[in-house]
Order: sequence, then C-alpha cells, then structure tokens
Amino acid sequence: MRPFHYARAETLQNAIAAQQAQASIEAGHEASVAARAQFVAGGTNLIDLMRLDVMRPEAVTDINALERSPSGRIELGERGLWLGALVRMSAAADHPDVKRHYPMIAQSLMLAASPQIRNMASLGGNVLQRTRCSYFRDASYTECNKRNPGSGCAALEGVNRLHAILGVSDKCIATYPGDFAHALIALDAVVDIAGPSGSRTIPFAKLHKAPAESPHIETNLQPAEIITAFVVPPTPFARRSLYLKIRDRESYEFALASAAVALDMDGDTVREARIALGGVSALPWRARAAEEAIKGATLSDDVLQAVADSAYAQAKPRGENAFKVELGRRTLIRALRQAAALEI
Amino acid sequence: MNTPSKPASGTSRRTFLASTMVSTMTLTLLDRQRADAAAPPLSKDTARDPLRVTLNINGRDQQLALDVRTSLLDALREHMGLTGTKKGCDHGQCGACTVLVDGRRTLSCLTLAVMAEGRAVTTIEGLASADGTLHPMQQAFIDHDAFQCGYCTPGQILSAVACVNEGHAGSDAEIREYMSGNLCRCAAYPNIVDAVNDAKTKMQRA
Amino acid sequence: MTRAATQPKENMGAPEPRIDGRLKVTGEAKFPSDIAVANPAYAFLITSTIAKGRIAGIDLGESITVPGVLDIFTHENIGKLNEVPFVAGGAGATTSIQQMGPDIHFDGQIVGMVVADTYEAAREAAYRAKFTYTEDKPSATFDAPGLREEDPGEVEERAKKLPQAGDAEAAIAAAPVSIDVRYGTPPQHHNPIELFTTTCVWRDGELTVYEPSQFVYGLKNNLARKLGIDADKVHVVSPFVGGGFGAKAQLSPRTGFVAAAARKLNRPVKLVVTRDQGYGVQTYRAETRHRIRLGAQPDGKITGYAHEGWELTSRPDPYSVAGVEDSARLYSFGAVKTRVTLVHADRNTPGFMRSPPVVPYVYALESAMDELAVELKMDPVELRRRNDGMVDATGKPWSSRSLMQCYDEAAKAFGWEKRNPQPGSMRDGDWLIGWGCATAVYPTHVGAAAARVRLNANGHAHVQIAAHEIGVGVNTIVAQMAAERLGLPVSAVTVETGDSNLPPSTVAGGSNQAASCCSVVLKACDAILDKLSRATTTTGSGSNGRIADLSGAFERLKVGAIEEYAEFIPAGGKPDALAQLYQGKPTLAGGSHGEKLMYALGAEFVEVRVHALTREIRVPRIVGAFAAGRIMNTRTARSQYMGAMIWGISSALHEATEIDHRNARYTNDNIAEYLIPVNADIRDVEVIFVPEKDDFVNPAGIKGIGELGNVGTAAAIANAVYHATGVRVRELPIRLEKLLV
Repeated sequence: MRPFHYARAETLQNAIAAQQAQASIEAGHEASVAARAQFVAGGTNLIDLMRLDVMRPEAVTDINALERSPSGRIELGERGLWLGALVRMSAAADHPDVKRHYPMIAQSLMLAASPQIRNMASLGGNVLQRTRCSYFRDASYTECNKRNPGSGCAALEGVNRLHAILGVSDKCIATYPGDFAHALIALDAVVDIAGPSGSRTIPFAKLHKAPAESPHIETNLQPAEIITAFVVPPTPFARRSLYLKIRDRESYEFALASAAVALDMDGDTVREARIALGGVSALPWRARAAEEAIKGATLSDDVLQAVADSAYAQAKPRGENAFKVELGRRTLIRALRQAAALEI
Repeated sequence: MNTPSKPASGTSRRTFLASTMVSTMTLTLLDRQRADAAAPPLSKDTARDPLRVTLNINGRDQQLALDVRTSLLDALREHMGLTGTKKGCDHGQCGACTVLVDGRRTLSCLTLAVMAEGRAVTTIEGLASADGTLHPMQQAFIDHDAFQCGYCTPGQILSAVACVNEGHAGSDAEIREYMSGNLCRCAAYPNIVDAVNDAKTKMQRA
Repeated sequence: MTRAATQPKENMGAPEPRIDGRLKVTGEAKFPSDIAVANPAYAFLITSTIAKGRIAGIDLGESITVPGVLDIFTHENIGKLNEVPFVAGGAGATTSIQQMGPDIHFDGQIVGMVVADTYEAAREAAYRAKFTYTEDKPSATFDAPGLREEDPGEVEERAKKLPQAGDAEAAIAAAPVSIDVRYGTPPQHHNPIELFTTTCVWRDGELTVYEPSQFVYGLKNNLARKLGIDADKVHVVSPFVGGGFGAKAQLSPRTGFVAAAARKLNRPVKLVVTRDQGYGVQTYRAETRHRIRLGAQPDGKITGYAHEGWELTSRPDPYSVAGVEDSARLYSFGAVKTRVTLVHADRNTPGFMRSPPVVPYVYALESAMDELAVELKMDPVELRRRNDGMVDATGKPWSSRSLMQCYDEAAKAFGWEKRNPQPGSMRDGDWLIGWGCATAVYPTHVGAAAARVRLNANGHAHVQIAAHEIGVGVNTIVAQMAAERLGLPVSAVTVETGDSNLPPSTVAGGSNQAASCCSVVLKACDAILDKLSRATTTTGSGSNGRIADLSGAFERLKVGAIEEYAEFIPAGGKPDALAQLYQGKPTLAGGSHGEKLMYALGAEFVEVRVHALTREIRVPRIVGAFAAGRIMNTRTARSQYMGAMIWGISSALHEATEIDHRNARYTNDNIAEYLIPVNADIRDVEVIFVPEKDDFVNPAGIKGIGELGNVGTAAAIANAVYHATGVRVRELPIRLEKLLV
C-alpha cells in the first residue's frame, strides 16, 4: 500500500470539492483504476485493492458521513424505491419494503459476499466494485489492459474458468462480479449522480461501459462525480422476482452464473419479463433479446430453451469458461421456472 | 533519505487546495498540525506523517499515532497489545479478523484504523464480564467443542454474537448461512451451529 | 448434554472439555505471532514472479528511501547460511532450494526481505523493489515439455520396496471381470487459517524463535544448523498452532532469513507471511495420477490389483508419498503389483498434507472398487466383505482390523439398505440423490518421546512435554492420561507443551501424538506411583495404583514434590531414538513397516445431491464409523473425525490450486478462490465410534485418528455422484461443469 492523504467529507459538496482538488484524470487516457483520488465508504473493495498494490490513490476521501444525508436512506415513494448510495448492503437486504416489493433486489444483496462485508459495504461501492480477475489483481502481471492500457490481456490464454462470455472483447474478458447491479439493471433503475457541474440522472444501463477497446475505463462517471442514489421505478410485478445465484460452494463466493428475473404473468402467460445475467458478463447485463422472446409466451420447455438460446446467442466462450454458456442457459431456465411458480 | 516529490499540477493545485481548505470548514483533515491556510502542498511525504487517532476499544479510549495505512486489525494487534483478533488473510476473505463496530460485525483487516475513530469497537477481549464470567456464546463454544486449533475462534464468536443480535439465528439453515463469513479450516462447523443454538436462548433470556 | 460430549463406549475415555478452551474463547491463547517482543522490526518478503530462470537485476532505489526501512536483504547481502538437507518426512528442511537467488526454481521463491520500523513501511518498500529476471520456459505440471521422470526407489529408502506379491498381471489378464481405469488429483494447499509467521529475538548469542511449529525440536536443531550455531542456543516457542495439517512441520527458508536479519540488526524481527506468499513459502499436496487395474472372480474375490502412481515434485527434490504402500494392504488381494513414478517439474517442493499417502491413492483405489462393484453388479459393501481379511497379499497380518464392523454400523445408521443401485434412480424434486461409500484408512504411527511429570503434595500435577497443540486436543488428552494414571481429577492437572525447552516429542505428523505422548506420560506417571508406593501402606504401585493418602505419603517421603522424567521408545525402535530426537531427528514407526500391519480403519457413507438442471453438487449427509483402538477423549475425537470428513468433502468438491501453464505460477493463491467449505456447505455429519482394543500397537493401545476421517471421503463422494447422475468423474475436484452433460 502506498501512502495517501486521508480526509473526511461531512457533506456532499465537500466530497465533490475534495475529489476535484485532487483529481487529474484525463478522461479516456488514464486507467480509472489509476485515478489519483478515490472515495471510500465501506472500503471492502478499495482497501483490498490498495493492499494488493493494484490501486494507488494519492488521496482518499471518506464519505461515510453521507450516511446521514438522503444518500443514507431507503424510501418507497412516488419515484419508486429510493436506495441511497451510502446505504449498507445489509440494511437494504433486510429492509421490509425491499423484501416485499422487490425480492430480486433483496436476494441479490443477501446472496452476496458475507454478513460482515454486507455490514460494511455501501450500495454505491458495491455497484462500482472491480473485477476479481486474478491477473488484474496481481500487479506482477504487466499484461492487463485495465491496469496498463494497451499491454494486452493475460487471461485470454490463461486460467480463465471464471471469466466472462458476454460483453467481452479481445482486449478484456474480465467478469463483472456484482449481483446487486443485475437487479438494478433488470428493473430499469436510474442512477442519481452529483458532481462539479451539478446533478444528473442516467439509466443504470448507461453507468458501466463494456471493455471494447478501452477496458481501463469502466464507467461513464466523470472526474469527481459521486453516485448519490439508485432509484427503481414502481414495478408492481417485481413482487414476482428473484435472484438465482449458482456457485461452486453454498455461500461466500462470486457467481459462476446468475439470473435476475421478474415476470409479469397473466395466468400461465408471460406478459413481460425483466432479465439480467450475472457471473457471465463483462458488465451488468440486461438480456433484452430474451425478454422479447418470452413476451406473450407460456413457459413450456421449448419456449424456455428458445429464451435461453437468445440470451446466450452472442456468447463468446474462451478456454475454460466454455461451460458458462450451458450453465448460464440452465440458470436462466431454472430462474424463470422458479419465478413462474412463486406464490404471490 | 527523503526525496520530496513534485505534486502533479504544481502551483495551481496548491493554491486551489489551500483555498478549498480555508473556505469549506466542514472538510476535516485529521492531522491538525498541517491544517493551516498557508500549508505546503500535500506531497507524498506529508502523506507519511503519522495521524493522531483516538480509538474506543472495549469501552476505553486510546490515543495512537498511526501510519494512515494501518488497519484496525494491525492497530489492535501491533499497537495496542490486543492480539485476540487474528489475521488470517488480510483481504477480507476469511473472517478471522471480525470485530464489532457499533455492535455490527465488521472485518478489521479492511477497516483503516482512522476510519474506526468515533465508533465503539468490541473485540474478543471485551466480551467476557469484568469479573471474568464468560459471555454465553463463549461458554457455548466450550460446551459444544466449537473449535479445535482456536485461531478462527475469536472471529467466530463475535460473528455469532452479532448473528444472534441481528436476528439471523432463527434456524439451523439460517445460522449456517449467516455464519458463512467465518472460515474454519479445522471445520468445526457443526459444533459451531450447536453452540449458536445453545447461546441464543441464553442471550435472549439475559 | 451436548452432542459434543459423546458417550464413551468400551475402551474410550471421557469427553472432557478442552483444558485450553477458556484460553481459546477469550483470545488469551497465544499463537506465536501474538507474543509481544520488545521493539520489533517488521519484515516483509519479496518473492519471485517467475518460476524458472535467474535474477538479472535488483533495483532497490525506491525501496531503500521509504522512511522507516532498516535494511533490505537479497542474495547479495543475506550472508552465509548453511544448507540444511531436504528430508521428505519431518527431519530436515522443506526444500533444498534455500537461497534467495540468483537462480530461480519456482514461482514464489523468496528473493528478498525488507525489514522496517513499521509493517506498512516494509510492505511498501517490498512493492517498490524492482527485480528483473532472465526467464526460462518452466515445466508447470503433468504433460508439460521438459519434465523429468524418476523412480523414487532409487533415491529414497522408504520407496525402495513397494509392495509386490504374486503375478498380478497374469491374474488380471485371466480374470473373468476386470477394469482398467485412470484417476487424477489436483495440487492442494493446507491453507490453515493461521498464516506462516516467524519472530526472532537474539540475546547474548541466544536465539528465541516464535514460530508455529509441528516439530519444535526439528525447528530448533535445523535452524541451529542453518545459522551455524549450537542447538542449545536456539529456543523455539510455539504454545498454540492455528492449524498445521503438515504445513508447519519442517524448517522453511524464511526462518533462517529472519534470524539472520535479527542478528545483523540486533533487534527483534517479526515476519508474517501473506496468504498468497504462503503458497510458495511452504509446501503443498502435489498433483497425482493413477492407473488402476483390478481383476476379480464373479463372486467378487479380487485376484489381482495393479496400481501405478505418478506424483509431481520440484526439480531437485524427490518428494513422494507412494501411497501404494498402504493401499496395497487394504484388502486381501490375490496378487499385487505397484509402481510409483516421480515427475520433476519447476515447482516448489511438496510436503506432507493431511494423510499424505492415502488421500490420493485410496481415493483412486476406492473409486476403482466402486467401478468394479458396478461391473460385478454387486453391492459395494459386499465387495469389501468378500475381500476382507486379516492377512494382506504379502502375507503380513493385521494387528487388529475392524473394517466390516465399521461398514455395517455406518451402513445401518445411513440407511444404506434403502439404496436403489441404479444410477439416477433416486430423486427429491429437482435434486438427484446419490449414495456412495468408501473405506477410510490411516497407518498407526508411534514415535519416541520424553516427558516430565511433577506431582505436588497437594494433589496437583504438572506435565511438561514438547508436544504440539495444533487443534488436536493433545493438551487435554495428556492431562487425561496423567489424571487417570495418578488418580486425580483432570482439573488438577496442568500441561505445558509447544516449547523446545521441554522434553521432546516427535513431529506432530502421521497422527502419532496421542500414542507417543500418552505412552511416555503413562511411563512417567508410573514412575511417580512407584516412588509413592514405597511410602504408602495402601494398595497400589505401578499401573492403576491409586494413592489414597497422598499427603501422608509425601510426609513419609519427606519431599515437597515428586518429579519424574521418562523416555519412551516404540517397540522395534533404535536404542538411540531419544538421542536422535533431541537432535531433531524423529523416527516414526508403524503402518506397514513392522511385523504386523498397524492401521486405523473406517467406513464413510455419503449422500450427495446434484441439481437436475444446474448441477451444483452438495453433500447434505455423511456418516463415518471408525475403529482406532483406544480413544482418549470422545469429545476431541468426534471433532477430529468431523473436521476430517469435512476436509474430505472439500477435497472432493472444492480444493484445487490453479496453475497457469505458461509460466508455472499459481493463480488462485488466496483463500477466496481456493475454495474450502463454508458453514453453509455442511449439514449432517454423524460420527460412530466402533470399539476396538489393540495392545500390540503401543502401550497406550492408541491408533492415531487425526488423519483417518479425510481418507476415502473423496471416493465416497465420487461414487455417490456416479450413483446420482451416471457420470463417473475421475479427476478431482468434482465441479459442476463435469456434470453438465
């Protein structure tokens, strides 16, 4: 870990100002992981990566005080479900409104990490967490397009059982490891952002960037911008939703494959669906083609196969992760069946 | 030999920062000795200055001078002589370093000591009563042989206490799931579950 | 009544709670890195990032300027340290690769060590160090180009005479039913939760080392050799060990570096090796391959067993486990042919890891037994019964053997009779159910040991022995042995272990501690009773003598306390065994090497559930029945068995160290991606104690159990997975993608 300046921000404006004072990102050039100024809330990702010497910020601004602001609140209101970015994962997972109205969200949180980490980690930090790719996390590998733009990708021909098959490029196949993001992207959440130029709101689907030619830029956040909240629009049929996470061991592990699924059903027919696929993608992944394929259908085996096919039609497996195509398909089918069978 | 390094954007950054520091009074820098308007730029060297940190551990306040990078875990173990909390991985992957912060179970290895300032930290040393009576969870761990080598045990016990207090010990399955953040290589898991089941009834009575 | 306090059966001791329990639940139990030393300097290792080649350049310019750095050691300035011979088996060093360079032999080799005033400064300086290498192409694992094969019998005494009997080739060729199958196991790391740590303090030319150790006398003597000083000047302190499993048994290169640094700086130096560094700094269970052929009659009698094993090791060191030594004894085969080939690669040297020979080899044999049972259309338990016997293929008899009692008791508790043998026939909703079983076996070892016991007039006893409390409960059973022998309550006995100033005991390996330590403590207590009996008028001298009037006896003797030092050498041991032990050379006798076969046995039955669609494999239920002679304490024994069975589940489903074949580097060198079970993975674990008496194995009649329960489990699970799915997985771990067919 390199030395850094630590400061606490008591208000949102302080946080932005502190970041702005230190930040010197030239957008598009410097790898986001190399940003000189970082926010810290729970620290479960940042401190971990700093201790690996993968991240070396010169200034770290502690924004935990924002838990006392609207960013620390969970509220069900007109806009929908307001999830402040400084809310801890455990608080959201256990919140009765979240569990009742958006079970997919509660489950995506509860099935993540460990109870200790969920107590520490903020929703904002969880969404912005970085990949677990073992080459990314080992600073002795120079070949990593996220850490050293243009240097190559050691995972392409390496140990890549856990790497992504959707949204990848030949520059990067690292998996986006989060769960909660998939519930947000499935349910058309928006992201409230505050920054030096003021506030803005973007669809969650526009927060992350696919690796493409520049894996080192992971989000569309501008320097010194901070996420203040996620807002999930009212989605009555989200009560029929779930998050299914498949992993090697029963808990405390990232997904091999996952599916966030919400179904609006009319008897046996699916009026519409929301589907997101985790553990298999380079960024939070909304499966819109699959949602189209399922519209108006009854969930026969043939329909489920067709939906799974369309979800994974663009999959680009590589080396040891080829099994994720079939696992991903089956995970989606299982999730859809389970969601349809829920007693609402 | 210290070689001062140049701040990234030279003078303009220094004046901007200085003015920011003066005008936004609620922005707190911890090292009060350097927080004045004419402060030199925040160089790599000043980042090395020890911070004065006050930690509240098991009900007692203690003042320490710490490297900003010192984890709460290392502050406890190396600076305060409280070695009950253990280092198993230093990366938040094993749970051996679990302590309670304001009653919530937390990984002390991923918590900077400075970030624990102003919070009440409970370690294994603070669990038993002043007269030495063991906490029901500690006694239950002994009664049910819920440990072998004992290294993960402090973290398990604090985690278990919090698990019960969180209301996540309702059934065997729930206990197993909510204790999964504490690895045990000796694999005392079934006995740990028995201990939690036993202690929770006594904790609720207390 | 708790489940932990299992009712003892015949020849079993009471479920006494651990005497160190309070220390462990309060955080007061001191593990070596907990022990405070005055003004420590902190060390941080620099390890190589290539597996094969040479250090080309070392640039410490940025490192040495980190404030607080005291010194940085590399091969250029660490100074002369003697080579301690590599010995596979506890006596010497973990590896012959003991230098910091310039030659690099494996990924993770220590190439430098920073020492600083603070841990944070040392770590930063280590990360700033710039090492450049000239890199050669390494051979990473099996099938890589550039490997070198070797017959371990040519280099190692132990492997010279592997079991052979009759003409197995002919028997198999002539057999009406035969199978020819291959199996593979991955590399696995011990990953105890306690990290590898070393703290060295010099005072007046004497060195105190705080390091978690499974053999304090070995560490003391070998470290003295390394430093070129008298062994009497080295004191090892290791009161509690946070898990050993074989990883903390021998001298590793780091200790000499820390001692040298502390000597040069004239200041205590404390090193805590990081989790990822631990993958190369110590040892591991190497990958293996097997080819097994079995030939049988239609009634199940196996006429021929041929087992060929391949084991990976480092380039220079011939480390092998040669588990055919044990697997060949397991049944009364008609004929046996065994062979082991060592495969040298560019990796760190392996070392023993819980049940070293039998975990991989019995996994293979017990899987093959199940495949044979399928060929024979025979119940797998009956197949074992057909081949059960008191004499092995070479004609050697068992000292005691309760295998079928274990099978029958476990099968009954499990409900095995309800099993429909057809694969895929059992199901519960979306979950396929599979039931499988396998044999557990572990050689009984006993080693030389010494102990001192003091009995005070007030009826308190103190036992001193350099045993190793790695979680097995040795403190407690030693107290129980002394209490029982002297007629005292356990609460009146205190025990001191884990310190090289105490009388020595053998390496805590091969599950020998209970037998060795209890045997010698028994002797020392008997000597005390002997003294007391000369002063008493009531009954009792020697064994079971209870001194009714203790204080009266002391008055007559006119002493304040009686202290006896005793030495124990196992039957067949050399007369100088204790002298050797004081020099750090252990001798373990037992297993198949005496006139009788000495093994503990068991039978494990598992239920696996495989999701019909997404194919996760879970083990909701496991029953193990074990017969291991005298059980000193059913509480600690039950925990050992449970913990071991869970290790077995882990070995089958979770554990594998991943290697990048291009550069022979470990990629999952952490405890998140290297999977071990979490609490939620484990549900019903039932332990059945099968009573057994065996006075041949050692005076205490104890067979070690710490390494029994994790043997065979992987086969039981693989067999159950086959039963559930019809898919026979022959390469561990069993991951869901292998079932996605």
